[in-house]
Amino acid sequence: MTELVLQALFSGVLIGGVYALVALGLALAFGAMRIINLAHGELVLLAAYMAYLVESRTGLDPYFAIPLALIVVGVASWILFLLVDRIKDHRELNSLILTFAIGIILTNAILLLFASDVRTTSSAFLQDAVSFGDVYAMRGELIAFVLALVLMGVLWWWLKSSWYGRAVRAVSSNRGAAQLMGINPTRIETVSFLVAGALASFAGIALYTMSVVQPATGHALTVKAFIITVLAGVGSIPGVFLGAVLLGLTEALTVTFASSALQELAGMVLFLLVLFFMPNGLFGARARRG
Amino acid sequence: MLKLDAVTVRFGGLTALSDVSFEIPQGEILGLVGPNGAGKTTLFNSISGLVKARGQITFDGKNVIRLPLHRRARVGIGRTFQIPQPMHHLSVRENLAVAQVFGAGRYDPKRIDEILTVMELSHKADADAASALALQELKRLEIAKALATEPKLLLLDEVLAGLESNAKRTFMLKLRELHRLFGLTIVIVEHDIETISELCTRAVVLNFGQLIADGTPAEVFANPAVMESYTGTAHA
Ligand SMILES: Nc1ncnc2c1ncn2[C@@H]1O[C@H](COP(=O)(O)OP(=O)(O)OP(=O)(O)O)[C@@H](O)[C@H]1O
Ligand SMILES: [Mg+2]
Repeated sequence: MTELVLQALFSGVLIGGVYALVALGLALAFGAMRIINLAHGELVLLAAYMAYLVESRTGLDPYFAIPLALIVVGVASWILFLLVDRIKDHRELNSLILTFAIGIILTNAILLLFASDVRTTSSAFLQDAVSFGDVYAMRGELIAFVLALVLMGVLWWWLKSSWYGRAVRAVSSNRGAAQLMGINPTRIETVSFLVAGALASFAGIALYTMSVVQPATGHALTVKAFIITVLAGVGSIPGVFLGAVLLGLTEALTVTFASSALQELAGMVLFLLVLFFMPNGLFGARARRG
Repeated sequence: MLKLDAVTVRFGGLTALSDVSFEIPQGEILGLVGPNGAGKTTLFNSISGLVKARGQITFDGKNVIRLPLHRRARVGIGRTFQIPQPMHHLSVRENLAVAQVFGAGRYDPKRIDEILTVMELSHKADADAASALALQELKRLEIAKALATEPKLLLLDEVLAGLESNAKRTFMLKLRELHRLFGLTIVIVEHDIETISELCTRAVVLNFGQLIADGTPAEVFANPAVMESYTGTAHA
């Protein structure tokens, strides 16, 4: 019993890293442009299928798909940005409809190109079990988790210390003031979308190596990212990480002790509980900023 | 250095500025006065690019009326807001650094320290700009941010409001120092007649969006039309 719990907790934490990457991409685009990109999960999905494509066609390890995924998802993000940027009136609302539609288009394009089958890596190296006492992980899960931690660190450094990162924070915090400081907000929004796309690329490949993907996964990921964002607020990377781990744990425990059919539902229940009992998010009003 | 030619701004049916024309030579400290709602802030907004205006706004020989906000900041138009607009989640120093890098196109930490010192913000340099500053400090940050973009023209919107008379005097000296130190041309919105008379060599008066007087403070405040527009609002 305790072993099952420990195993579920461990798996939950590991998938939480990837969830955090997905949520951070969503938060980044939201911070800079004030729009919720409902196609963000589909961008992650696109990257996962690039990993599948490379692995199934060449037999190479899925991580060799990183350049291809960065290019494909980068271009998709950029087109998405151009489309959203064309909305002049009621951008908050209209962008929801637009990005939702783009998400559906991407899901169906993937369905058309890759069929509805469930896909995951066939790499023996990544699927090897590594044991830590009584709990196990696939090597792919560990690599994905470490990759997620590293990318969060890089993102944190970029936002904190690079000029573009600071400009992203400036535009997120006060667009008008930032413009008067000479910052071109369109440029910063483009950069945010591209960085969000890069995070989605890594998240998608990581997901493919540690879990299963199918065309409907994209939408489910957007919902997860949304839940995490509401749990954590969009203010801090550690907050998003904790929210993501919490979601991962909830899902893993549900799968272990109830049924994998309830996995998505468990996230929604967690979401509703937090909204009901902690309307300011897990970390109170202070973390919910931007 | 700045020339306004028939600048007109309408908000729906309201004409906030109507055919305003005047010129500011390099190095002047110009007082912009008028009752509440006269259009002073709107004039700053049209010069800095926050509202769309008709007419011509020539800065340094170029018509800037079509330039977007951030480009106007880069050519040397700096401004402050009546209600301070710090970039929160950035420290005071980062606010200035970002302004300098993107507004002036270079990074010079020494200059930032200099601005922090002049604006008496050194002790709060690494504090969060929005949460750790008192109102008067936020107002000084407002000016400091504008200075960091290395402007030639500085538009100050009621930066002296809410100060008691001693503090006001000190702050006026500070503005003089900035004017000299950074070689600025300054336009300042201020309700207090004494302050304008002491600080400025010239004043222009707006009323209901129209320019009704332009001259030395003494001339302007001796004008009965000006005093009439003023008596409703500015007994202080
Ligand atoms: N964005 C806007 N939309 C509609 N009306 C506006 C807008 N900005 C200003 N106005 C109106 O334009 C007029 C001029 O306003 P403005 O803020 O320029 O006055 P002001 O001289 O700065 O006044 P105060 O001394 O109160 O700051 C006012 O009637 C105001 O209500
Ligand atoms: Mg005003």
